[in-house]
Amino acid sequence: MSRIKSPAELEAFRKEILAQRDPDKPCITLCSGSACNATGSGKVAAALELEIEKQGVTTEVVSRRTGCHGFCEQGPIVVIYPQGICYLKVQPEDIAEIISETIKKQKIVERLLYVDPNSGERATLEEDIPFYKNQKRLVLGSNRKIDPRSLEDYLAVEGYQALTKVLFEMTPEQVVGEVKDAKLRGRGGAGFPSGLKWDFARKAPGDQKYVVVNCDEGDPGAYMDRSVMEGNPFAVLEGLMIGAYAIGANEGYIYVRQEYPLAVANLTVAIEKAEEYGLLGKDILGSGFDFTIKVHRGAGAFICGEETSLLNSLEGKAGEPNARPPFPAIRGLWTKPTNINNVETWANIPMIINKGAAFFSAIGTESSKGTKIFSLVGKVNNTGLVEVPMGASLRDIIFKIGGGVPGDKKFKAVQTGGPSGGCLPEGLLDTKVDFDELSQAGAMMGSGGMIVMDEDTCLVDIARYFLAFLSDESCGKCTPCREGIRQMLKILTNMTKGLAKEGDIDLLFELAEATKGSSMCALGKTAPNPVLSTLKHFREEYEAHINEKRCPSLSCKALIDFYIDPEKCKGCGACFRKCPAEAIEGGKKRIHVIVQDKCTKCGGCHEACPAAFDAVNILSGVPVPEATPEEARAIG
Amino acid sequence: MVNLTIDGKEVKVGKTATIYEAAKEAGVHIPVLCYAKKLLPYGACRICLVEVEQMKGRLIPSCTTPATEGMVVTTMSDEIRKVRKTVLEFLLVNHVIECPVCDKGGECDLQDLTYEYEVISNRFEGEKFDLPKDEINPLIERNMNRCVLCGKCARVCDEVVGYGSYSFINRGFETKIATAFDRGLNCEFCGQCVSMCPVGAILPRPFKFKARPWQLKEVNSVCGYCGNGCTVTLGTKDNEVQTIRFNDKTGVNDGNLCIRGRFGASYVNSDKRLTSPLIRKNGELVEASWEEALETVATGLRDAGSSTGILSGARLTNEELFLVKGLAKAVGTGNLDHSGGECYKGVTQGLQETLGLQASTATFPQVENAKAILAIRTDFYETHPVFGMVVNQAVKRNDAQLTVIGDKQGKLTRMPHARTLQHKPGLEVNILNAMCRFLLDEGLAKIDGLQGVEELKVALADYSVDAVAAAAGVDAAAIKQTARELATVENAAILLAYGLPYTANSRELGLAAANLSLLTGIAGRAGSGLYLCGEKSNSQGAIDLQILPAAGALGASGMLKAASEGKLKALYVAAEDMLVSYPDKSLVEKALEKTSFVVVQDIFLSETARKADVVLPAASFAEKSGTVTNAERRIQRLNPGIKSPGQAKSDFAIFQALLSALGATAPADEAAAFAELSAATSGYEMVSLDMVGDQGYVWGSDNLAPEMRNLVAVAGGKAIEAKYQLVVGSSLYHSGTTSLHAKGPMAVVAEPYIEFGREDAAELKVVDGDLVKIKAAGGVISAKAKVDRRLPKGVLFAPYHFGALDLNRIYHGQAAIAVEVSK
Repeated sequence: MSRIKSPAELEAFRKEILAQRDPDKPCITLCSGSACNATGSGKVAAALELEIEKQGVTTEVVSRRTGCHGFCEQGPIVVIYPQGICYLKVQPEDIAEIISETIKKQKIVERLLYVDPNSGERATLEEDIPFYKNQKRLVLGSNRKIDPRSLEDYLAVEGYQALTKVLFEMTPEQVVGEVKDAKLRGRGGAGFPSGLKWDFARKAPGDQKYVVVNCDEGDPGAYMDRSVMEGNPFAVLEGLMIGAYAIGANEGYIYVRQEYPLAVANLTVAIEKAEEYGLLGKDILGSGFDFTIKVHRGAGAFICGEETSLLNSLEGKAGEPNARPPFPAIRGLWTKPTNINNVETWANIPMIINKGAAFFSAIGTESSKGTKIFSLVGKVNNTGLVEVPMGASLRDIIFKIGGGVPGDKKFKAVQTGGPSGGCLPEGLLDTKVDFDELSQAGAMMGSGGMIVMDEDTCLVDIARYFLAFLSDESCGKCTPCREGIRQMLKILTNMTKGLAKEGDIDLLFELAEATKGSSMCALGKTAPNPVLSTLKHFREEYEAHINEKRCPSLSCKALIDFYIDPEKCKGCGACFRKCPAEAIEGGKKRIHVIVQDKCTKCGGCHEACPAAFDAVNILSGVPVPEATPEEARAIG
Repeated sequence: MVNLTIDGKEVKVGKTATIYEAAKEAGVHIPVLCYAKKLLPYGACRICLVEVEQMKGRLIPSCTTPATEGMVVTTMSDEIRKVRKTVLEFLLVNHVIECPVCDKGGECDLQDLTYEYEVISNRFEGEKFDLPKDEINPLIERNMNRCVLCGKCARVCDEVVGYGSYSFINRGFETKIATAFDRGLNCEFCGQCVSMCPVGAILPRPFKFKARPWQLKEVNSVCGYCGNGCTVTLGTKDNEVQTIRFNDKTGVNDGNLCIRGRFGASYVNSDKRLTSPLIRKNGELVEASWEEALETVATGLRDAGSSTGILSGARLTNEELFLVKGLAKAVGTGNLDHSGGECYKGVTQGLQETLGLQASTATFPQVENAKAILAIRTDFYETHPVFGMVVNQAVKRNDAQLTVIGDKQGKLTRMPHARTLQHKPGLEVNILNAMCRFLLDEGLAKIDGLQGVEELKVALADYSVDAVAAAAGVDAAAIKQTARELATVENAAILLAYGLPYTANSRELGLAAANLSLLTGIAGRAGSGLYLCGEKSNSQGAIDLQILPAAGALGASGMLKAASEGKLKALYVAAEDMLVSYPDKSLVEKALEKTSFVVVQDIFLSETARKADVVLPAASFAEKSGTVTNAERRIQRLNPGIKSPGQAKSDFAIFQALLSALGATAPADEAAAFAELSAATSGYEMVSLDMVGDQGYVWGSDNLAPEMRNLVAVAGGKAIEAKYQLVVGSSLYHSGTTSLHAKGPMAVVAEPYIEFGREDAAELKVVDGDLVKIKAAGGVISAKAKVDRRLPKGVLFAPYHFGALDLNRIYHGQAAIAVEVSK
């Protein structure tokens, strides 16, 4: 294929692609995102290819390896179109049956369907699965329909229509106006109005300007951007080009984490394809607009997600922030005006242009428009990526989409916004996902991490965990962040070890305020959030740790003891066999006793003790009763 | 202008001012650690936080936040005090408290702030830094356990020096300042990092345990080395210069210094200083009284009369040089010259014939705003490092395009996006000619009001860009681009350093550079300038005072030639070690041998002094008053910080006494001398000593208008054909021969060396430290080899400062010397 030189040629090419595709022809899509790859998608793909050949359906069926579908816990995922039959946890040995039954005989392979853990009902179609049913997948939606490395696939789902429209029907001012009207806010964390940011860069004086994609997603457990980049790189490229046209840039950089090899690979292929077809390079579609893109791999520092640090890193300097102002829009990459947005923000742009600002701004709340992708993880039944309209409640996300907390455990808290987000208690579950509402509740939107915690989670320990992460990731440039986080971490660690002192809560508050109020960049300014939000909503847990040396969640090892209730022990020996530390004295028909000095608090005995006996107790904040004397241990 | 209120005071500041700067303007003190006037805003320490009414809810770093119209700033409140105190507690958690033995004690910003904020206890605990100290090099000690991570060392090294020795490494608590691969420091040793460090983490080693800051007496003077004329504030105690103190308020250098300025003053304390006059008796130099010495000299000179030759160095003050002239007059000789008589001819003849001037047309600070800079010879950085720092800032901060015409690579060629026209040795003039020709051909030349345009066009027939590019081995497009830039950008600068090791083509280079400055419009345009910078601290003063041969009389080379033929009766040499630093040692030797009466006036018993009949002990720059004029025509004052050793006297006092012995009159003191010399010196007529203030006084104003605009055709050089050719020059760590007595420079470069490029070294199987022999017409010299990346194939380099090298046996002032190399 030669370069596409005009919008007419592009449309002709699109028509040609669509003409070759029979919408009624069975199409087997296999999720090939990083998560499904980890659970064996590669082998399933090989089996699929082999089996199509073997069963002689080469001409009757199309197969396609797509990007992430989002329901990662249930991967590898196979969806068969046009019906949308969804098979989960598909293994290579299931493929023969899928082809012989579903493709050839239109029969459903029941055992591969989703089963609702609560009702036991099966769901045949993707859209019937509660996890999907309650989402609004405007950005992620295309992921399951297209091969991320196929420009044809992207064109088949209206790809590059927005770019054509922008280049030939809109002025840069109009493009910025459209994004402003859409009220799109940056998805990277701070939620700054994207249109306004573009406008600053557009108006900044300078011949040379840059646009940058921030794909340095560093929140533990969050992978929204990865999935968009892996699954639909063309959408990001198209968004980026629209932004470049709007602000007057001809060069773009994509900063991707080194740890995202598939995203880099798919992106690289996409860029090559776009260059080959003339959708990147000189005089794109005959519009006179030139644009080139370079991919830069980050070296794994969390701080490089902060825009000025990212730009420093791009320039080959140490990844640490600069004072703002000047903002990158005025003085950014190599001192030139630069607009930097996160992957998800860029991916929203083609849709806004195609469907219009009015369509976009009709979704969501007053101050937050469109949808937001969350990475729903932790103690929740359905983990994965979920995309919901702004304004959806946390409760709906966790219980309707996420299927609630597994087992009989009680929900305790949800942490939104990544490591420097906040933990919200059950009482705030009706909080809507909205930049401002989450901030007011003491959490934040962040880039969309959402971690669900159940009753076994100690919130003091959680705060300690996040502060440990942030202390490791603080770049060390400014004093309050470098030292303030460390000092908070020290106090929290002491608390979980039973070494806390009176007054530690006050000191924590002071440290939190100082770090928040005087740090240089968002890392330090938001680092105290885990502490402040847990102090606000779970203060009694802190007090228990300090005053009673008790961990109410029975989770902090230094504060708990395992004790076998002599009244309940039946001498079955289950705990004795399980104990890796040989800390249990037992014997046939004898009451078992834990030698406290030897106990490593692994919890094995607690798990091993048959539920009917329930003899192993976890104690916290109380002394361990005297062990039953040797001579009194015989049972019965 | 921007209006704002700080602590209730109305302040009006420039648009680019930060809140901190505005407060300073208003006389409101805000504490800082990581802020430095000369560095870009950084904002890391968070000590300078203030409250801004319009930005409620958070504290604002005053050192990075621009002042904006209507801002209402509060610089102190309970909240601010609390946060600042907390930040100090944070810093003190890991900082080792070694104040009693820390050299910074008494002028440590952290110590002062801890005191000011009464941080008497610390709520926080933590491990103390326990990092190894860098005590490997003798000049700069790094104790990172005292570091507050303000980054000023790394920033000054990058932003100002352009070396980039330091960087932060690691993250969070592990963050530290380190060198590449965390090894010992191996850099220019300018000590700019020392001057910026707010705590005792980076210290000057020679000053360790010498004095508490408050015990030092501070005296502002001017560095005695190069023509940059940096202010050096002498920290003196016990009649010794103990250290050079940081001072960014006086002079032209903004507190910046090079290794020579910061660590090179120790020669004044040397125990090898001359302390008594010496007279040759029975073939031996023996101590004598001043009376006897002066009488001997007076008699000798009187006898020689017009057959006397007077050679001066360019490190004497203007007042002293004025008396040198008086001496020539009293003796009745016109044979007067300085600095070897050749190297400065670019100024005295080149600029004179074209512009009617004998000085640089603009001042140093203007270069920082230049958009295009042409440095002729990359050695410009080696001779004038602090001016090189200005160039670096122009390039780094203001995106100036730097072009270097050089026969080798160097510091300047490594600056960001520097363009190097690396040519065969000796062809600088050809390239300048090609630029002139290109501007004329393309109609880019600003020829209005220029004389000699047509003649120049004819003369440049052989200097088409392509022909010159091919002959010089330079990219033709680069020559064109450079010329185009110089002619079209708003502000541009042409830089050329001269000095004893750069004798070849000196007049021609001056002419060619002046032609280019006329055709580009650089000469005389405000903000642009042509800079010819002398090697020595008063090179410009020597030209201003015309320490030059009288009409029909002999210049330096003429005197030496005549003397070598026994035609001069007396030679008077002041502040020059001709045997080491002048081209053609054999000629100098012969001249000294054949002249019956030789007087040398110096601070050390130099090689030349050893051959004298009378040696007069002089004073160093640190011991005297007077003025010197730097390469941008800035007249600045020297102030004595210590007394001269023994009976040594200032050159001024010596000349005064000698004039008196000769029955001539002399001004009563330096001030009287200045009054007389200013009246007699072109450009100085309106200058009185009280006009020479803290920033000195630039004669002829910041932009010196050309007296005429005359293009003068000048022939280029010819590359020599030889497998190996040696070029001679100056080393960054040394200046003339004086620095060989200074501990700092000698700690870094103690011996002469022959520098090889990697290609030649590989071919000759020469590695660092190998003893190599260099044979050329005139003799064989030998020294250790140094292998670097600066030199192209076939070109070798030798610094000229070391008498031990005998370089001037083979260096007779050529642009390049054909040599044979053996091990």
